[in-house]
Amino acid sequence: MAEKNEFTDINGKAILLDCQNYSSFCREFTVSSPKVSLCKVIVCTCSVWLFAYAVFFVTENTAVLSSAIIITLVGMMMHIHLVKVEHETLLIIGSLGVQLSTSYASGRESTTFIEMSRIKDIVINEAVYMQSIIYYLCILIKDSGDPNGIASVVPLFQSSKPRLNCLVQVYKSCQAIIAQTR
Amino acid sequence: MGQKKRSGRVHPPTCPSETQPPAAARTLDPPNSSKARGFGREERARHRICMVSDFFYPNMGGVESHIYQLSQCLIEKGHKVVIATHAYGNRRGIRYLTNGLKVYYLPLQVMYNQSTTTTCIHSLPLLRCVFVRERVTVVHAHSSFSAMAHDALFHAKTMGLNTVFTDHSLFGFADLSSVLTNKLLTVSLCDTNHIVCVSYTSKENTVLRAALNPDIVSVIPNAVDPTDFTPDPSRRDNSKITIVVVSRLVYRKGIDLLGGIIPELCTKHHDLYFLIGGEGPKRIVLEEVREKYQLHDRVRLLGALDHKDVRDVLVQGHIFLNTSLTEAFCMAIVEGASCGLQVVSTRVGGIPEVLPDELVTLCEPTVSSLCAGLETVIARQRSGKVPPPADIHSKVRTLYTWRNVAERTEKVYDLACRQPVLPLPARLQRLQSHCGAFAGFIFSFLAVIDFLFLFFLQWLHPDHLIDVAVDASGPHSCWGPSFKKKAKDSNRAWPPGADTRHC
Repeated sequence: MAEKNEFTDINGKAILLDCQNYSSFCREFTVSSPKVSLCKVIVCTCSVWLFAYAVFFVTENTAVLSSAIIITLVGMMMHIHLVKVEHETLLIIGSLGVQLSTSYASGRESTTFIEMSRIKDIVINEAVYMQSIIYYLCILIKDSGDPNGIASVVPLFQSSKPRLNCLVQVYKSCQAIIAQTR
Repeated sequence: MGQKKRSGRVHPPTCPSETQPPAAARTLDPPNSSKARGFGREERARHRICMVSDFFYPNMGGVESHIYQLSQCLIEKGHKVVIATHAYGNRRGIRYLTNGLKVYYLPLQVMYNQSTTTTCIHSLPLLRCVFVRERVTVVHAHSSFSAMAHDALFHAKTMGLNTVFTDHSLFGFADLSSVLTNKLLTVSLCDTNHIVCVSYTSKENTVLRAALNPDIVSVIPNAVDPTDFTPDPSRRDNSKITIVVVSRLVYRKGIDLLGGIIPELCTKHHDLYFLIGGEGPKRIVLEEVREKYQLHDRVRLLGALDHKDVRDVLVQGHIFLNTSLTEAFCMAIVEGASCGLQVVSTRVGGIPEVLPDELVTLCEPTVSSLCAGLETVIARQRSGKVPPPADIHSKVRTLYTWRNVAERTEKVYDLACRQPVLPLPARLQRLQSHCGAFAGFIFSFLAVIDFLFLFFLQWLHPDHLIDVAVDASGPHSCWGPSFKKKAKDSNRAWPPGADTRHC
């Protein structure tokens, strides 16, 4: 059973939340951001090249042009490999734990897994982010020494940054699963 | 906050308890229950107030406790209150205190004496975000020393919000720093909707300094928590007479006078002891006096005191001495009297207004006058003609309560909300006609820049993209009675004290 909902991120861009219900204690949430737009790529490339051409016009050194080409190519590769995130997935399995995976535009994927025994709770928190204040979903990790303490906080959906209404939907489903396991 | 609740608290002013923000989801269901509750009562304007000041806990002082206590009482009255202050070291981000009082510790650069830098512009994005997401209707700034408070007033007017300002201190007119601060205050207050002062002397001072219309200035005194300052005569040693002084040891508090009084009285009375709490640069003066006259056994310097220890020190004495040279409203003498002590004070600033004549002995701020005043009180103490501490306490406890302060502040908010916020052209005209040609021009320019910057921000990050915050206090509070019950019913404990360090 799957449902797809449209939400926006904190900057007003559309994102897609895809909830997969495998069973009552296993759910998967995928937040997908829009793909790299061609328009943006062209604008970036053109501006770098125009700037390079302006410098070339003054200095009359062809090295400027070739380095501009290299910079755009390397920059594009770095961007899709390290920065641009296409999907962020939260897989929660009641008896087992939580798996977080991030897939980049280049196809690279990074995955972490947190066991249920280490998770204290999943909550919505507020933070000062750049010049604004946002809500975010996070996992509270238990402190091994102190049963009531919290060792660290793992923020979820860090790069897509959905708005509150989206977070609330994920939060409610997660709480339903966590409540069953206790 | 009720008396019962208060006595139940351990000591919130010194260590406000922190709790995890309530998970937003639980409250997003339509607030039917709270609406029904709201309609049941008589229609009363509920405000959403944002208190802004550089000074808040963990920093300690009068302004801090004023903001905290006032906010708690306003929450009790059903208003929504949030506090914005700057980050204190590691304490950044958003915290919740008792009863869902939400505090924003914004990462702004601290310049001097816990006051932030001011450019009148750079704090706009963060403050705008706070005002928009909390749907603030009244911005209440505190303390004229706080640059952030002035910034917030400036931005609030740009955004078209009603503004209230509370002045907590007295200023001179003569020296350069006062002249500059007064100019800033003139600019900042000339288009503020309402101003609150803590005493009539302070009102006079503020009206003169900021060239204001006295009609828009209200006087609301400070209050003390009478349950925190109760007398305990068993703690006194009645074989001797103890004079207690609790103040910061700085020039403004008249510590040099104290250094003159101590040897004079100690040579006359051999059963006289001094107990001095507080820390500061003038401590050296008292240490010199103690050394010179060999008074080590009779003058005890306790050093810096925590707010919770003040009562323990006060109840050990018979006489409370205040030697301040300037004071807008002296909380210390009310605390002293509340503990049942005889109060001797200088007649400066707003002090004569604070206590009725039978509870305080006022003297001129000179060594001889203070000594004479103390002598009469000592004589009265020896003859046993002083009223018992419990009587004094019962008189004082009704004088200044935070509930009363909150009630009066509420009226100020009602008044301020009925006034229009000046649109930009009128504001520019007011600035130029009110603040002189030069300052008027500069600040008009800044007001225009601020306005354009706001436009830019609204284009960059429109209001509708800022999530409305879940109310932790006020009419639609998720921390209301129903919430507390729910939390108690479900055995699942809220994760307390989650790490809220951000940014």
